[in-house]
Amino acid sequence: MPGPPVLDRLVGDVARQIRLRRAEFYGLRGLFWGAVAAVVPLVLKESLGFWSYAGAAILLIAGAGAGALRGFLLKLPQAEAARLADRGYALQDRISTALEWAERPDRTPIVDALVTDAVARADQLGARRIIPRRVPREAKFVPLPLLLGLVLAAAPPIPLPQGRLPNFSVSRDEDEEKVKDRSGDLKQAERRQATRRDAVQRADVQERDLAPRLGGGGQSQPGDLAAIFKDTSLGGRAPDFSSFLKKGDERLRMLEQLDRLPDLQSDFTQSQTRMVFQKAKALRGGLDPNKKVSPEKLRELLNEMERLGRKGGGAGQGNWSGDVYEGMEALEGGQSDRAMEAMERALSKMRSREERGRDGKSLKGGRESDRRGNRRGQGQGGPGDEGDFPEGEGLLPGRGKSGSPKGDPTARLRGSPFDVGVEGESRPGRKQGIDTNMLGRGAQMPSRMQYMGVLGQYRKMMEESIAREQVPRDFQTQVKEYFQSLDEK
Amino acid sequence: MAQPPVSNQSQEQRVAEFVKAHEALRAEVGKIIVGHADVVGQVLVGLFAGGHVLLEGVPGLGKTLLIKTLAESLELSFSRIQFTPDLMPGDIIGTNIIVEDAQARKHFQFQRGPIFGHILLADEVNRATPKTQSALLEGMQEGAVTVSGSAHPLPSPFFVLATQNPIEMEGTYPLPEAQLDRFLFKVRVRYPALEELNEIIDRTTHVRDVEVRRVLTGPQVLSMRELVREIPIASHVRDLASFIVLGTHPQWERAPEATRRFIRYGASPRGAQALVLGAKVRAIAEGRFNVSVEDLRAMALPALRHRLILNFEGEAEGVDVDELVGQIVESAESMSGSGKEVFLR
Repeated sequence: MPGPPVLDRLVGDVARQIRLRRAEFYGLRGLFWGAVAAVVPLVLKESLGFWSYAGAAILLIAGAGAGALRGFLLKLPQAEAARLADRGYALQDRISTALEWAERPDRTPIVDALVTDAVARADQLGARRIIPRRVPREAKFVPLPLLLGLVLAAAPPIPLPQGRLPNFSVSRDEDEEKVKDRSGDLKQAERRQATRRDAVQRADVQERDLAPRLGGGGQSQPGDLAAIFKDTSLGGRAPDFSSFLKKGDERLRMLEQLDRLPDLQSDFTQSQTRMVFQKAKALRGGLDPNKKVSPEKLRELLNEMERLGRKGGGAGQGNWSGDVYEGMEALEGGQSDRAMEAMERALSKMRSREERGRDGKSLKGGRESDRRGNRRGQGQGGPGDEGDFPEGEGLLPGRGKSGSPKGDPTARLRGSPFDVGVEGESRPGRKQGIDTNMLGRGAQMPSRMQYMGVLGQYRKMMEESIAREQVPRDFQTQVKEYFQSLDEK
Repeated sequence: MAQPPVSNQSQEQRVAEFVKAHEALRAEVGKIIVGHADVVGQVLVGLFAGGHVLLEGVPGLGKTLLIKTLAESLELSFSRIQFTPDLMPGDIIGTNIIVEDAQARKHFQFQRGPIFGHILLADEVNRATPKTQSALLEGMQEGAVTVSGSAHPLPSPFFVLATQNPIEMEGTYPLPEAQLDRFLFKVRVRYPALEELNEIIDRTTHVRDVEVRRVLTGPQVLSMRELVREIPIASHVRDLASFIVLGTHPQWERAPEATRRFIRYGASPRGAQALVLGAKVRAIAEGRFNVSVEDLRAMALPALRHRLILNFEGEAEGVDVDELVGQIVESAESMSGSGKEVFLR
């Protein structure tokens, strides 16, 4: 874009200034990265020797030089320089407009006036630097790699790491030994206890041997299917999918025998409490009356009990945390006997809580029964407030206060002035079925079907439903415990 | 340069005359109007750019007085229409009436309305119904009105100055977007400063005889309008104008964040025309032969503020359109390479 010589000269001068500033800017940036790169040969001084110094110097100079060269050679259109000249000399875009429009075919007569005006103003301008110096962000950090380089140059060579990995095998053996030392005594006691399993135990309170789950080699009971999952050769076998496709996995076939399945859910929910029982039993059972209890083991047990207490979240009488804290304090004070007593107390509380958990009546209660109890205590609400089946009344024939084996109709139904239920006389002959919400005369008819007769049938259905995963996992325990409570009634 | 300067002197003279006339006009208006230098300047830019101006401000700030004074300073016919809800389009444009000639024959004759004047003051334009407001549309855009199938050209120059009150919105009809877009500029008239208020009190509460001279004729105004269009604009300045206008569109991929967030519809190409024409007038009024970035910056607000339609979020948050335009201009400058670090690229 050739223009009037004065304008060209002015723009050329500005272009030189721009190139210089660019060279400074990119040179500083290159210096920083060159200094960073120069650290590498200085680190390798041991192997490179004299060449590390030479390499560092070359990298430093090359970085700065390459940056400056790049900045100097960056593309710079004349229009760009003209714009910067306008801005630098506060010419309000006169130069750039004049240079652009001077050669345009569609220029208007006023463009000539513009060019004249621009030339006149350019003539009056003295040579001065109008492009400000810009410092890159990296320039602030240039001293850091330079200083590091100097330190590395002055310091003795850095020994390089050898080309093989350290041997961890020895330390692993040591770790295993340490673990064995820590847990050996307690586990051995547990295993001894496991072998002396009580032969006659109730099915629902049968304590399972959980020692094998801790990695031990406990023995299994004959006929206990849980053993299949624990320590048989089948349990350790790798899954063979081709054979599974042909004849099925033996473990899966076992799962089909629903009534023989181990109560895995129960194991999961109660295992920690049971473990504490086992440990406590082992601690006491293995003791010689003349021998003192090991404070470490006792503390370990108390810690575990305390953790269980926190997890259980219970407060009030069922909470054994207070006893555990007392025991720990006694242990700190060196009073092993007191600590042992506190542990016994906590253990008995745990046991009673465990028993309550298995108790059917507590199932019906929980928070709900607590609330009812509170209301009763406050003297609020009548019999109708206790719902359809107050505790100890209702469903079971002969146990309720009411003359009717099904109890009185609920208050809700009685409260309605309009009896919209079924009315009329019952048909003559033998009556079957249970209809709890029947109204009118029909409500006076006692159930003829024996309650206990159908319970087994429903229990089987319940077990099948649970086995087919038709009952949500979170409710399975609750359902089982409900049926258990029915048994106890 | 391929071609030698042909008539530099005459061009420079024309520009000098423009500057002189512009200054004289400002001085005459300044005899009556105290302060409001930017308002007067923008109204004059509108006059010389060939557009129409909408003045917005609360009552009593001298909007009507400013327009009347401007009309008195020009040798041009002046009409004033006070817009009311019962004003009809015929009251503005005119209507056909039956007249009887010498031979007692009756025929229709077009009776011109007040729109047939050089300078039209549409006072409180938002008080008339949209139907009446739209009667101005054709005249403002085409310079002619059509009645009963026949077009009637308006006198040239034709310059509409409308006023509206932004606070008394009860019983008003806000101007439709199409009509707002017809206005080259929307100028906000603000309260005077302390010194200006004192001056207003002195001028208006004493006996004072001020005579406003007529400094420009219609043909002179038209000549100045032609000169304005000859002013060259550099491509990077024109690019900046395009960036500013496109920056008001939320759909544009490079639109600033504020635009995407608060604007529903951006400025039309008329906005870009208004911006560049206004910048040209400002440049020549300062005696320059070219448009600069500063001219665009100065004209962005009056040229764009009435062309941006805020979305719900913008309305709900009470976003100031002027601030929004400022942000858009800043963003456009950085996009067009007017930033400080431009020489490093």
